[in-house]
Amino acid sequence: MSEIAIHTQKLGKSYDGAVYALHDLSLEIPTGAVFGFLGPNGAGKTTTIKLLSGLLKPTEGSCTVLGIQPEKKPSELHRVCGIVTETARMYGRLTGMENMMFFGQAQGLERRESRQRAEILLKSLDLWDSRDKKLADDSTGMVQRLSLARAMIAKPKLLLLDEPTNGLDRESVLHVNSMILDLARREGVTVFLCTHQLRDAQELCDSFGIVSRGKMLACGDLESLSREVGLSLQVRFRLREGKIPDELQRLDDESWGRDIADEEEMPKLISGLVSSGNEIFEAKLVRPSLEDIYSRFVELRGNGK
Amino acid sequence: MKILSPAEKALAFRDFEDIWDNKTSRSILILVPLVMVLLLPVVFLIFFLNVPMTRMNGVEQMLLLLHAQASGMDERQGMFYLMTNMICPMFFLMIPLISSSVSAAYSFVGEKEHGTLETLLLTPLGIRKILKAKVLGCVLLSAVGTCASFVLFSIVIAVGDLMLSMPFYFNWNWLVLVFLLSPAVMIFGVVFMVLTSAKSKSYTESVQTSAYLVLPIVLLFTGQFTGLYQVGAELLLLISCVLLAVDFLIWFLTARLFTPEKLLR
Repeated sequence: MSEIAIHTQKLGKSYDGAVYALHDLSLEIPTGAVFGFLGPNGAGKTTTIKLLSGLLKPTEGSCTVLGIQPEKKPSELHRVCGIVTETARMYGRLTGMENMMFFGQAQGLERRESRQRAEILLKSLDLWDSRDKKLADDSTGMVQRLSLARAMIAKPKLLLLDEPTNGLDRESVLHVNSMILDLARREGVTVFLCTHQLRDAQELCDSFGIVSRGKMLACGDLESLSREVGLSLQVRFRLREGKIPDELQRLDDESWGRDIADEEEMPKLISGLVSSGNEIFEAKLVRPSLEDIYSRFVELRGNGK
Repeated sequence: MKILSPAEKALAFRDFEDIWDNKTSRSILILVPLVMVLLLPVVFLIFFLNVPMTRMNGVEQMLLLLHAQASGMDERQGMFYLMTNMICPMFFLMIPLISSSVSAAYSFVGEKEHGTLETLLLTPLGIRKILKAKVLGCVLLSAVGTCASFVLFSIVIAVGDLMLSMPFYFNWNWLVLVFLLSPAVMIFGVVFMVLTSAKSKSYTESVQTSAYLVLPIVLLFTGQFTGLYQVGAELLLLISCVLLAVDFLIWFLTARLFTPEKLLR
């Protein structure tokens, strides 16, 4: 059984004592997981990141990150945890390399080690050519990627990322996503990713938490979440026109399909179609996307279920 | 034991560069000392050397304020002595106060305004070490400026003393003022700014707040012209000790009460 990297118990935060930005959040994220924390703006994602990073003190409940209580030992946590928040900026007056060197030293690295790490990260995040350019002159995407590089300078065991791909073009988003995946898969880095970009989250994360108005609506992997909202696997077939297949419904002009409980049903369905004389041009197993699940959650919440 | 760790040194050094790189801070750090220890004393000196004392009103009353050690001086010498010991200390003290508070305002509020304070708080340095590095950095920067100003001031006044055939100006008052009161004032400027930084929204607002700090100094020294009291070495010593205690208290409170949440609010 894997160790728990992030544990929260009824965690909550109210800034004014009346309205809760986050309420009753209980989570357990295993080491090495890439966890997507999803929700619209104002859902409580940033508050959660700030509570987990020790920038805010909880008004209710508790949390531990890598076994450390963030509000009690923030320095200890920051030694092993890289954090990107939307409001944590870098020095516009300094160049990319100077920023990296400074934050490397602030992380406790030697000057030479800082430079080595900075070089590796700037190259891997495609920032090497602009390393001597002042950050104030860089594009939003470059600044965002540099923030990510800054968070990774001291080889963290855990990354807390708040919308790390905001403001990036698609190419950069894919680049950053593959880097995060690489870190998680090859180096076992745990990633807590706050985002409202569901497509990216589905590509990156192996489990998800859906949060809205400060409350966690659901938590789990894609399969368990789809079960929770009653979305199942779907089969789709493109067949030669003429015959009407049994057990399938017309979905649109070109395809036939139906919901199935398990992918094990697929081979039986195909052989049934073939034996009943249908010609199959295309057979697809469609899993509910994170977007489908999320929309369904929003719909259910709207209906008060 | 090292005062600052390499990470703290990196932060203090980056602060120097940031403060110096900012036009407003740089102008204040250069212009205030030049006006206070060069321009104003030179203007006074030229005035005393060229304007007949008989044409000035109230010279006799002013000379009555002179300390016992200034007895036997002529009117010109007396007026220069008066300037050196009753007005120039006020000008001089403004240097450590303004330079330290302006540096601290930029170092703390400027950093908060630019969103980089949060990034610093996400490093293992922690709030205490960040405060320590920044306070020491600002005090050091202010100390360098104050020392340079003192050298320049001594040259100007020594030239005046030579031209007016007077003894070298340095006395017990100046000794306490330079070596005790100036550092106390310098530290006060920094810790006061740190204390108010959580409330300040912008660097400009912070610098404006620091302007109020010069008022007690102005009142203390100009109050002597009422004839009710004279600022002597003993009083300066007392003020220095009280101010150092206040500095320590503010620092203690700041270091204990400040949390990232309060600072970033």
